[in-house]
Amino acid sequence: MTLWRQIKNAFFTALCSSSVLFLAVALMLFLFPMLWKGSKAVFFRKTVEFDKMQKELFKRGKAEDLERRTAQTNQARREALDLLEHFSRGIDTALLSREARSAYQQLGRHLRYLEVADEEYARLREQAKEIRDAFLQALDTVDKAEAESLLDTVDAQRSNSRFQNSPFEIVFSLSKQYRQILQEIDLSRRSEYAAELDIVKTEMRKLFGPLPGESVPPLPQDRFGATRWDVAQKHLHYLIYQTKWVPSGKDDKRLIPKQIRRDDPDEGIFGKTELAPLFSMVEQNLAAMLQPRPTIYWRYFLDDSTAGHYFGGAGPEVLGTLLLTVLSMCFAVPLGVLSAAYLVEYAADGITTRVIRTCINTLAGVPSIVYGLFGLAFFVLMVGKPCILSASMTLALLVLPVIIRASEEAIRAVPQSYKEASLALGAGKFRTFLTVTLPAAGPGILTGIILSLSRAAGETAPILFAGAVALGPIPNIGLHLKWLFQPTRALSYGCYDITVGDRLAMQVPHNQFGMVMTLILLVLVLNLAAIFLRWRMSRKLQGI
Amino acid sequence: MTTAVSQSDEAVRFPRPLRLTFRDDLRSTLLSWFVKSFLFVVTFCSVAAVLLIFVFVIRQAAPFFTESGVSPRERITEFLTSRRWFPEHQAHPEYGILAIIAGSFYVTVTSLLIAVPTGLLAAVFLSDIASFRTRQVCKPLIEILAAIPSVAYGVFAVMVVAPWLQKHLGFSTGTNALNASIILSIMAMPTIISVAEDALTAVGREIREASYGLGATRAETLLRVVIPAAHSGILAAVILGMMRAVGETMVVWMASGNATQIPSPWWDLSQSVRTMTATIAGELGEVPQGTIHFHSLFAIGLVLLIFTFCLNLLSEHFILQMKKSKR
Repeated sequence: MTLWRQIKNAFFTALCSSSVLFLAVALMLFLFPMLWKGSKAVFFRKTVEFDKMQKELFKRGKAEDLERRTAQTNQARREALDLLEHFSRGIDTALLSREARSAYQQLGRHLRYLEVADEEYARLREQAKEIRDAFLQALDTVDKAEAESLLDTVDAQRSNSRFQNSPFEIVFSLSKQYRQILQEIDLSRRSEYAAELDIVKTEMRKLFGPLPGESVPPLPQDRFGATRWDVAQKHLHYLIYQTKWVPSGKDDKRLIPKQIRRDDPDEGIFGKTELAPLFSMVEQNLAAMLQPRPTIYWRYFLDDSTAGHYFGGAGPEVLGTLLLTVLSMCFAVPLGVLSAAYLVEYAADGITTRVIRTCINTLAGVPSIVYGLFGLAFFVLMVGKPCILSASMTLALLVLPVIIRASEEAIRAVPQSYKEASLALGAGKFRTFLTVTLPAAGPGILTGIILSLSRAAGETAPILFAGAVALGPIPNIGLHLKWLFQPTRALSYGCYDITVGDRLAMQVPHNQFGMVMTLILLVLVLNLAAIFLRWRMSRKLQGI
Repeated sequence: MTTAVSQSDEAVRFPRPLRLTFRDDLRSTLLSWFVKSFLFVVTFCSVAAVLLIFVFVIRQAAPFFTESGVSPRERITEFLTSRRWFPEHQAHPEYGILAIIAGSFYVTVTSLLIAVPTGLLAAVFLSDIASFRTRQVCKPLIEILAAIPSVAYGVFAVMVVAPWLQKHLGFSTGTNALNASIILSIMAMPTIISVAEDALTAVGREIREASYGLGATRAETLLRVVIPAAHSGILAAVILGMMRAVGETMVVWMASGNATQIPSPWWDLSQSVRTMTATIAGELGEVPQGTIHFHSLFAIGLVLLIFTFCLNLLSEHFILQMKKSKR
């Protein structure tokens, strides 16, 4: 019987301990992935494209150093890019036909320049048009024999002296090129090639930026290749491997995805083509093409970001959060501390005090989204539009009960003898509070303020409608105080938006988690400071 | 000896007359009265804030109930008993929040089912089992758990928990009632632990020692004596945890899937639900001000406000009871 009771007792103890352990594990399970994934926004291997981006968007870095590295990487990339361009001429016949058409037009201009007689001019134009059309037809057809016979008609005119040394000569060299391509590729699969080639080109753009000869894209994220080594690895994988859906077994009809190399000689689509060396070339020389280097991008916490947080950091969000929290403290701290002073020093235990206490408790229990509603219905109405001022006033109301409770506790903890000594010296009640009690309670109140700072920094729901925006100008802080009346970005709202609202941000998980990490770090630092402060106070009280 | 004499000399030359004149007396009385009333006014701001919150939420919710063409009674009946929430419908908008209330109920109750036992056991550990040193480590841990912003938990729920649930438990969607409940339980736990621990500590040494003296083990003492004695404080802890879970916005908005439905079968937590807070947060940003839909969201806010206010009064009642029994 006793043994049974002891077993029960031990089991209970174990259960209690394990529940605390469970909490610790939960905290670790939360903190570790979030901070780890977020840290990649700061610690990573940058490529030469990163330096190009920093130079162009943020005006940072040494120009000559960057030029040297750009030249080196361009050297390393040239072969692969040339190969790609050459091959795509065969598949992407639009390019060839465009060149043929322009050659035909230029021929007209050329003949006019030479002042050829009108009849001669018409005849040559007619001839050239026939050649061009034969060539274009050869590009269009999927029948290899037909294409070759068409090219023969084109080549028959090669010896025509009137076309030699004229812009139209290009057409013959194009035809020669195309004849060569015809030997390599299967024309019936041309559309298939074209689709795959499009993917290859897209991935090459993602790796190395715009291909040679392309105009500068309007969006910043398309202007640079892979700025990070991990992103480059990802795109390398997409470049090399294609997904094929194959039956999972002989009898089983279900399809399962299978990764095959695009340059696989048997299965890969480009296996037997001229393009095949590209893949291993890029795979082996990627480091030379991008020059990865480890870096600590500490400016992540200060930099502005491009649209969709594709490049750059969380600077405006950090600034906005600091503005909102500090401003809300400006409202909440005097109110809170004075309220606490009244409740401790002056309030009698009457019905009024009980009502006040109930109201403070109610204020602490009001759901944060209701604060959001109230902020919209009252502060925004009062100020005129959602802005920093209305948002910080809403936050101030939210943290008011926290500050009151913390200050009350701190003021109560001041030994009665301190106050009595002051009163005995003839100081009034309020003077005693200001000069004796408040300084003695200072660290405790400060702890409360730090904790409510962290609470205000993390709250999202109250500022959803009261002044937080996902995109907006950085507040221009100054004495003119106009910045008070403009909305701001904030870390907490940014975290929400970047996770749920922003499609572009999904492509850059490191920046997405980086923002969350910044918020968590801010809150952690504030809390650790509060914990440290309290620890020192307790040591002081123990007299160590 | 000489120093003492000189000190008494200083005392004699004390600059202020010991007997106050009438003017001094009046001045100091007026000053202290002024300070006291000033502090009272400052403190009254909290009361004013609560009143203002009620007034303004009610004011914005009122047009929803008094819309012309619909009797307030019908409106309220529809509001509270219909499951159909189609506020954006052009011809026949419907404003039934039963499914939304049910959603709030689902995530709250499920999270409490996890958080209350665990939190209570953890509180017992902190108050009766852990050594001073262990407590020094555990307390900050729980504080940090409480301090992590809800939006960060929300991101965690969407980016880490949801894919995990989908992959390992085979749910069709990772953002569902279960996901939201798990995260909410973690968020409600610190509140429950700290209030429950206070309640357990408040029971006092004598009762514990009496129980030990009768030969009871620690488990028996706690389960049969201490916890029953602290029941009102523990109830307050549960209620405060519940308030936290009901009022939480970002996590449920991001993690609960936001489908206006009552899961069927009723126990299927792998389905998406939609809570009151998420409805407000999700829709208020997009509706034009002054429309009935806009006011209906304030009506939901009012329901939420009244609910938490009642819970708050209840928890205060229990805490008061705890303090009384302590005396």
